[in-house]
Amino acid sequence: MRHCPSRGAVNLALAFVLAAVLSGVAGLLLSRLESQPNIKIGVLHSLTGTLAASETPLVDALRLAVEEANQSGGVNGALIEMVVADCRSDAAYCAQQAEKLIARDGVRALFGCWTSSCRKAVKTIVEKHHHLLFYPLQYEGLEQSPDIFYTGATPGQQIIPMVLWALQNKGNRFYQIGSDYLFPRAANLIARDVLFARGAQLLGERYLPLGASDMAAAVKEIAALRPDFVLNTLNGDSNLHFFRALQQAGVRAEDIPVFSTSIAEAELAAMGPELGAGHYAAWNYFQSLGGAENRAFVERFKQRFGKDRVLDDPMMSSYIAAKLWVEAARVQDSTDLALIKTTLAQLTLHAPQGIVAADYRTRHIWKMAYIGRARADGQFEIAWQSPQPLRPAPFPFYRSREEWQAVSKALAGAQP
Amino acid sequence: MPTRGMAPALRNTAGRLSHSRRVSLLILEEGLFYDVFLITPQGEIVYTYKREPDFATNLGNYPMRGTQLALVFRESRMTLESSISDLEHYAPSNEPATFVSAPVIRDGRLLGVVAFQLDSQRIYQISMDVIGLGTTGETTLAKLVGPDEAIYIAPLRRDPLAAMQRKIDLKAGAAPILKALAGQYGGGVELDYAGKRVVAAWRYLPELRWGVVVKMDADEVFAPLYRQQEILVKSLLALMLFAGALAFYFGRRLVLPLKNFALSAGEIAAGNLDKRVDESRSDEIGVLGRAFNRMTENLQVLTRSLEDRIEERTRDLNAANEQLRVAAVTFETHEAILITDASANIIRVNRAFTGITGYSQEEVLGKNPRILSSGRQDKAFYAAMWQQLLATDSWSGEVWDKRKSGQIYPKWLTITAVKDKQGKTTEYVAIFSDITARKKAEDEIRNLAFYDALTGLPNRRLMLDRFRLALSVSARSHQYGAVLFLDMDKFKILNDTLGHDHGDLLLIEVARRIQACVREMDTVARLGGDEFVMLVEEISANANEASQKVALIAEKIRMSLSAPYQLKDHRYHSSPSIGVCLYRGSGESVDDLLKHADLAMYQAKDSGRNAVRFFDPAMQQAVEAHAAIESDLRHAIPGEQLRLHYQIQIDSDHRPLGAEALLRWVHPIRGMISPAQFIPIAEESSLILDIGVWVLNTACQQLVLWGRSEETRDLELAINVSAQQFGLADFVRQVEEAVERHGINPERLKLELTESVVLKDVADVVAKMHALKAIGVKLSLDDFGTGYSSLAYLKKLPLDQIKIDQSFVRDATTDPNDAVMVKTIIDMAQNFRLNVIAEGVETDAQLAFLRKNGCMAFQGYLFSKPVSAMEFEVLLQRLSE
Repeated sequence: MRHCPSRGAVNLALAFVLAAVLSGVAGLLLSRLESQPNIKIGVLHSLTGTLAASETPLVDALRLAVEEANQSGGVNGALIEMVVADCRSDAAYCAQQAEKLIARDGVRALFGCWTSSCRKAVKTIVEKHHHLLFYPLQYEGLEQSPDIFYTGATPGQQIIPMVLWALQNKGNRFYQIGSDYLFPRAANLIARDVLFARGAQLLGERYLPLGASDMAAAVKEIAALRPDFVLNTLNGDSNLHFFRALQQAGVRAEDIPVFSTSIAEAELAAMGPELGAGHYAAWNYFQSLGGAENRAFVERFKQRFGKDRVLDDPMMSSYIAAKLWVEAARVQDSTDLALIKTTLAQLTLHAPQGIVAADYRTRHIWKMAYIGRARADGQFEIAWQSPQPLRPAPFPFYRSREEWQAVSKALAGAQP
Repeated sequence: MPTRGMAPALRNTAGRLSHSRRVSLLILEEGLFYDVFLITPQGEIVYTYKREPDFATNLGNYPMRGTQLALVFRESRMTLESSISDLEHYAPSNEPATFVSAPVIRDGRLLGVVAFQLDSQRIYQISMDVIGLGTTGETTLAKLVGPDEAIYIAPLRRDPLAAMQRKIDLKAGAAPILKALAGQYGGGVELDYAGKRVVAAWRYLPELRWGVVVKMDADEVFAPLYRQQEILVKSLLALMLFAGALAFYFGRRLVLPLKNFALSAGEIAAGNLDKRVDESRSDEIGVLGRAFNRMTENLQVLTRSLEDRIEERTRDLNAANEQLRVAAVTFETHEAILITDASANIIRVNRAFTGITGYSQEEVLGKNPRILSSGRQDKAFYAAMWQQLLATDSWSGEVWDKRKSGQIYPKWLTITAVKDKQGKTTEYVAIFSDITARKKAEDEIRNLAFYDALTGLPNRRLMLDRFRLALSVSARSHQYGAVLFLDMDKFKILNDTLGHDHGDLLLIEVARRIQACVREMDTVARLGGDEFVMLVEEISANANEASQKVALIAEKIRMSLSAPYQLKDHRYHSSPSIGVCLYRGSGESVDDLLKHADLAMYQAKDSGRNAVRFFDPAMQQAVEAHAAIESDLRHAIPGEQLRLHYQIQIDSDHRPLGAEALLRWVHPIRGMISPAQFIPIAEESSLILDIGVWVLNTACQQLVLWGRSEETRDLELAINVSAQQFGLADFVRQVEEAVERHGINPERLKLELTESVVLKDVADVVAKMHALKAIGVKLSLDDFGTGYSSLAYLKKLPLDQIKIDQSFVRDATTDPNDAVMVKTIIDMAQNFRLNVIAEGVETDAQLAFLRKNGCMAFQGYLFSKPVSAMEFEVLLQRLSE
């Protein structure tokens, strides 16, 4: 690479200058703001179905980020407009909506999905168009797409520290329960890997269909085996049924704590905080985190959407996704997909919970990890936090990428 | 615990590593890393290469618990991922260190953690790399060390000792690094840690949690752009982008040593020299290799994409080039254009705007145009402007505004309201041009009546007007003001000797210097000739404070005007005499006050020139103190309080030639009083004459004493003669009498005359000098070079010696002008067959310079200070040894 401020650099500078002058002229000629067309972004979340309670708040988080961006000048004077599609808790339908948003609405970026099945389905569409999807959820990793920017945690930033902490603090006999699709199976596989590496013992493992409500058999088994802790990767409404069944069976959090990957403040609120109290969850953001900027952010959110509303990690990841896209578009003064994607991978920004930094190679985010214990008021108290932000590693260190891809394929094939 | 059984396996690995030739090779010869560690899952360090005090300690125990090594160990154990630590002082090695760790897993079990200690010099080398950053570029790195504090990691260009030492206050540190540490991504023109204006780009490096700033001095960056006139506008934006690319490049470069490090670690693992590590191996080494290979790929991808991106953008933008140029012209006229929205917020400005006001578009966007206002127009003016603008949709007129530099300038401004179809104002377009030049022409016409054509200062007429006004203002405010009357000493002589054009040059320079000494609100006027009047208004309500303040101003003026003048090719020394008169209210008339100041000025002149005198009784005390010295001085001779001290003069072989006698007054109460203090007082009265006689006689006595000894018989003694003494009609007879009375060899007595002495009455001076020569005494011209002696004049004088003034000697080795002056004096002296002596020689360098240029006699502190007669003899003895 040549980086002398020589002729090349001066020409480059000249080119930038002329571009800037043109934008100035354009600004003069078209000084009416309303004559600039809005920039559309697409939102793919389930507003109905089993995932609605989890996903609807993410749309609000995106809306807050977009409104804040528009108040501070939009992108080069153009306003950002959200086009929201309801995925109906159905991955295949969500992929169709993605196609429609890209082809018909001409959106410049997509924000969405909750489950990994949804992401996998939408990934096909996004990659076909070389488009851009922001995925806000913690997930199992084992994936890297040039057209997806992941703002949620990888296993090393959530599941692995959580189960190793449980092992150190609760004991080495564990039980796994999850919804029957890719994420829970992959997450549990990784959890087993690391727990076994530290000499832990698996007592039982059970998968239930997404949306399942009959938890009797699983809870009976847990009550009988009395594991030191339960790793819960259930998603959606099933959690409500699971925790209610635990309560009815008299399983107390003090005796058999449940460590969940997909229960945040929003889910606690939806199922009633007293059900989850005393159990644990691992996230990279909790509403209860300190800091003046976080408190101001929570206040802003409540002012906009209601004072009884709560914020959680997936919402923060959605908010950050939108902020990153706006920042990249502003830096480049363009919504060109290639430019945005290149910029995103280098971007850092100052967010309510601290510095948000993209990892260039993986297009994920460096994240602090927290383990929280649910309180009766629906908030979490921090039981452990990483000493510093953790590197995103979609493919955990201890297997080669080829091995992981084989594992991943086997897991996907095992799906019903 | 199952791990207990695993420890032997790890120990085996440790055993293997310790026998590996590659390890020693990498550590000792390539210097990539400093040390290697194997750590059990319990934190026990079972292997290190260096066997420093950290060996066989436990990372869970104090003091190792708090180290960065413990931190990466815990993180690798908790996440089963590789981890990179911060750069921090590491006690066992007693230097800053960074650690990279990776979990060692075999058969699904955690065996332990392997960690490497990186050589901190590697990091420094990268930050020192300034390729592509011009001559002023640098990369600065910092990390947080507390909630309010950060620290620089690597040396700074302007502070090489900054690494791990220099703290950054997060509330008040240099802006670019603070932005980087706050996680911002951007660039712009900012002030750096040294307060210098720089073009900078800032990035946060998540891998290391460091802030990185790449920057160049703005002066350097903008220099090539200033040459290309057409691209001045928005050069800032372009440079930000350019610097941003550089920052990114350098930021990623920091990860490079880690990559090298990692590759080599893979080599240890593989036991061969292949650059790529075999990833398929599933032992701890294979695992390590994979992690390190991933880092390599990361960097390659990054470099490629950055290059592609720059190329791609350059191509696109070049294509658009022509179109852009055409479009640009329409907005860029020589008239400044400023567009605001309906509520008068600036939304667009053009290049001419920046040229005239000094503000860039970024600085004014969103602001109200009142930031341009100078404050010269009152509210009513703007109210009327808006009234007309609202009524007729346009306004034009002359307005005084302020540039960014603070300079106030007149502009011709036209404002037009732009309306939409509904008749609602949407924008205001303001077009203006700088009419400074036109105003200047107008002002010149006005000036003729009120201003002095030579200096541009107010003339007597305007000064009187302002003075009257000042008196009435003072009457209302009860504040003291002062009028200063100034006259340049010996101005007439300058005009007579060098001509009026030199005199005029001096006056212009005097005017400039006075103006630099007073506030802008004060009036400096030239009354005519070399007379200036200064009005200093509203000084203080307290008389004492006012007189002290004005004394300071007057002293500042006096100092400034006493500095040498360069008038064409003449270096000229002059000084002012300043009279000061305080006033308050209008109790006294303008005429009376001016008369008082004039009187005070004459007192200053009488007191020896180059002085400030107050008319005010408050300053009478100073005069009284002055009188006290004068009266004491009368007792100095009868009271035997005067002494002569002798400063040795030597030749180039360090042989004594003689001495200059210097007067000292040992006051019975005040102690030693310097000649500079009492000689001017003595000169005001005839006391200087008595002193002159005393000096002459004392010197002769000394020569008698010297005549009795072999060693001192040939010494010459020089005495200074004052102008008054020399001016005496019977001066020659005085000297003759003294020589005869003491029976000295007249050739041993040397009279030093200053230029001021010899320049008075040419015919008389030349006659007296010849008469003195006839007696046999020698004549030396003192302080030569400071006045304006012309060669022709000098040639008429029967001199034996010229003395080079110490001011030239002092600066001859540093100031080329003074060096030339000294050479010229020496050359001239040789041409006229005169001796030349240099006084004030203080350093060997000065001595060497003088010798080299042919000066053969010297005097100064390098040889001896002036000493008493007794000490002088001791000095002579020492020299002869």
